[in-house]
Amino acid sequence: MLNITNIETFYGKIQALKGITLNVEQGKIVTLLGANGAGKTTTMKTIVGLLKPQNGKIEFLGENVTGLRPDQLLRKGIALVPEGRAILGSMTVIENLEMGAYHRKDNEIDKDVEKVMMHFPILKERKEQLGGTLSGGQQQMLAIARALLSRPKLLLLDEPSMGLAPLIVADIFKIIREIKDNGTTVLLVEQNARQALKIADYGYVMETGKIIIKGKASDLLKDPRVVEAYLGKK
Amino acid sequence: MMLVEIVNPYYLQVGSFILINIILGLSIYVTLSSGQLSLGNAGFMGIGAYTSALLTLNFDVPIIVGVIAGAVVAGLFGILVGIPSLRLQGVYLAIATLGFGEVIRVFFVNWESVTKGAVGISGIPHIGREIFMVLKDAGFDPAIIGLKNNQFVFLTVFFVLLLINILLVWFIFRQQNSRIGRAFAAIKMDEKAAESMGINITYYKVLAFVQGALISGFAGALFAHVMSYISPADFSYHRAVEILIFAVFGGSEVIVGAIFGATFLTLMPEMLRFISEYRYMIYGLILLLMMAFRPQGLIDVQVLHWFQKLRLPKRRAEHGSKNQKHL
Repeated sequence: MLNITNIETFYGKIQALKGITLNVEQGKIVTLLGANGAGKTTTMKTIVGLLKPQNGKIEFLGENVTGLRPDQLLRKGIALVPEGRAILGSMTVIENLEMGAYHRKDNEIDKDVEKVMMHFPILKERKEQLGGTLSGGQQQMLAIARALLSRPKLLLLDEPSMGLAPLIVADIFKIIREIKDNGTTVLLVEQNARQALKIADYGYVMETGKIIIKGKASDLLKDPRVVEAYLGKK
Repeated sequence: MMLVEIVNPYYLQVGSFILINIILGLSIYVTLSSGQLSLGNAGFMGIGAYTSALLTLNFDVPIIVGVIAGAVVAGLFGILVGIPSLRLQGVYLAIATLGFGEVIRVFFVNWESVTKGAVGISGIPHIGREIFMVLKDAGFDPAIIGLKNNQFVFLTVFFVLLLINILLVWFIFRQQNSRIGRAFAAIKMDEKAAESMGINITYYKVLAFVQGALISGFAGALFAHVMSYISPADFSYHRAVEILIFAVFGGSEVIVGAIFGATFLTLMPEMLRFISEYRYMIYGLILLLMMAFRPQGLIDVQVLHWFQKLRLPKRRAEHGSKNQKHL
């Protein structure tokens, strides 16, 4: 579905991505792991067009989409839930959700808002509340729900568990699995390696701008290098 | 009571200034609603004023063509300034646009062969008088409705401006509740989030900036044809700050804020004329108190809600049921 070949992205003169190649298969959850500064977020930003790669190629559904703008990519079906949630604080929950459907011109938006709120009952309860008054976990759910309203084929999640309590994190991971079961492919960036690998089908591990390990998620969970660096002993 | 007694040219003149200032307040409101602080609106106003004045004086074009040309030229400059300014945010954008305004002013001062420099341009066709002449040629005499000639002229200006104001407020209000308005609001709150929702922020930011430039150019052109005289000093740094204060004082979050700010701040120095020299001290004091106690401006969303509840208890019920469609 998404094929990235050898992309290199720079911040000014500093090279953040040193030739990343990765594939996301349709209907799967693929996770991208790594420590701080490994280039996970940069990879995500490059995929959605927030950053332009200097070299390399990004293909989505067989089409070359390298260098397209974020709004064009969203129209093609790639949605990003940015790191740190980025909720519109002085809009209500409903308004936030409707903004997610910004680029759509069909008349099923209201229906989709309903449907999304079924998955996130807490959002339905608080639909008239301002986005900024929600708790961290609720904001994360709102951010994910908002991205779903663009009807993405591929959903990119950048550290959805960041700064959340363990119980909430479990909820979020449950939701991610539900999203996959509903037919949306997911690319998940996480520091919470164990949880991410448990729900993922395939995994990549990044270090200083390169992919150093890749494999089936179940294999990575047992891989001694991954266990030592990211999982720790049980 | 006879019309001739109640129509006072002085009040109408003040009223016309208020209406022009409202347009200026709205021009900065539109740009602010996308989260950009532009202090270049005095410069755009100057471009509009000079364009229209020079066209009507040197090429005999009708005022309406001059005014539209003035707005369009200001809008084109808006694109020129707006695109490179995309890289700037907050205070830096304010400084850059303020610089632009000064460049424009200095340009008017020094291009003497065309703009007559610091002396300014006088004898610009007056909207009211032009309309009066046309009507007079058609056989109309203001005495029929019981008015003196100059009363009729000022009354015409006032109503023309009022009509323009109503149309403009209607337009901005409609836009605010449209896709464009939503995009502006999202960009203002969080550019990153807006971008990740697929809003083309480059396009909308330039659009908001150009709209602000266009509207201030429009106001400038009207100003020229109401005053009949313009000079570079009319479009100085002082004016830029004044325009900003209209929106900030009244409340920059809502349209009513800019309208109220422009009205109140234009009216107040006139009302305080009886204490002559001291009136600007009071003006300054009020601004100072505002900054201390209501930095968001006098009118904000809460104040509007409060008014709605007070005035229209029936409408509130209707409002509630409208929201329930999401249930």
